[in-house]
Amino acid sequence: MSRIEVESEITGNVWKIELKVGDKVEAEDVIMILESMKMEIPVEAPSAGTIVEILVKEEDSVEEDQILAIIES
Amino acid sequence: MKAAVLREANKPMEIEEVQISKPGPREVMVRPIAAGVCHSDLHFMDGSYPYMLPTILGHESAGIVEEVGKDVTYVKKGDSVITCLSAFCGHCNHCLTGHLSRCNSPEVSRKPEEEARISKAGSQIHQFLNLSSFAELMLIHEHALVKVREDMPMDRAALIGCSTTTGVGAVFHTAKVEPGSTVAVLGCGGVGLAAINGAAIAGAGRIIAVDMVDSKLDLAKAVGATDVVNASSGEAVGQIIEMTQGGCDYTFEAIGLKATAEQAFQMLAPGGTATIIGMIPVGTMVELHGVDFLSEKKIQGSNMGSNRFRVDMPRFVDFYLNGKLHLDQMISKHIKLEQVNDALEALKSGQEARHIIMFD
Ligand SMILES: [Zn+2]
Ligand SMILES: [Zn+2]
Repeated sequence: MSRIEVESEITGNVWKIELKVGDKVEAEDVIMILESMKMEIPVEAPSAGTIVEILVKEEDSVEEDQILAIIES
Repeated sequence: MKAAVLREANKPMEIEEVQISKPGPREVMVRPIAAGVCHSDLHFMDGSYPYMLPTILGHESAGIVEEVGKDVTYVKKGDSVITCLSAFCGHCNHCLTGHLSRCNSPEVSRKPEEEARISKAGSQIHQFLNLSSFAELMLIHEHALVKVREDMPMDRAALIGCSTTTGVGAVFHTAKVEPGSTVAVLGCGGVGLAAINGAAIAGAGRIIAVDMVDSKLDLAKAVGATDVVNASSGEAVGQIIEMTQGGCDYTFEAIGLKATAEQAFQMLAPGGTATIIGMIPVGTMVELHGVDFLSEKKIQGSNMGSNRFRVDMPRFVDFYLNGKLHLDQMISKHIKLEQVNDALEALKSGQEARHIIMFD
């Protein structure tokens, strides 16, 4: 089992969380959508696994490199 | 309505039939007459800027108001408008201090629980930068458009919607170029040419255009460059420092690369300011030589020309109509929506000015 941290590439706001803890993901599945300077930016699973933690909620502001979710594979 | 839908990065867009919602209280339905194909569409198409898919690209357009929501009083059916991605909320700190282009308020988009503005068979098509102009209709917030004079040709007006505002605005608002000063512009695509034209209007004494393509340097001269440097030799920085006897007062990077952003800083005179307009790919770091700060060199970003577009765009329309803003040369070809993929390919090659989609 390995724990994978899913980080934000940019500074912005959480617009919509698409998945929940316990959901199984494939690589590149969209976990949540961030909004930054009018752009809708997907946060994708870096690899397949199960979401074990989501560390933000909708409307939260997030920083670059902030950990948004954790996947176990 | 018909639209060019991007379903996968780096794959051609497909012309599809999609559904557009009805205007909400503060929304406006615009029928675009013309839409420019801009270099930043390419950044999203090739995935160097990630974006939610499927989406409909396009963010530089002009058209006619088709229908307004019940609370909209600013425009009415039949008005000529230019759209702008710098939709402003009007009451955040950025808006209230006059920096509308920095507004980051989500309220100009629909909320996740509301019906999407664009969809197909019930599933959402993500609106691009609150605009999506590669489509026969655009449903946008009333704060994403400006009314303009009816005698303004719509294909030229479309350019004002992004490249003109970005380039001229960077010169006027972000850098505040002083009359008589020395300016260099790196990259002579639509935005770079607009910055050159803006510097000429602002009264810069010397305007040096830098590009690797001679035909673009010719265009640069036509819109106001006093000198040109072909950067293919790899000696652009040294050449410009020599030509200016010590560097430029203002430089503008209009490409979006680490190397050219660094060069824009390197070719400054003491006290000079580099303004980065180009979209540098997410994750890229820019390196500067620390000792250069001792000579008070500055570097800053510029997004959409630090615009206040409801004030700026009608002024740019006047500049065009009185001959100061050269938009005719910026358009290399008028095309149909179906040819949008070819237009993006042409941009990629870097050889051509802009293609404008004309809707019938
Ligand atoms: Zn653009
Ligand atoms: Zn605002």
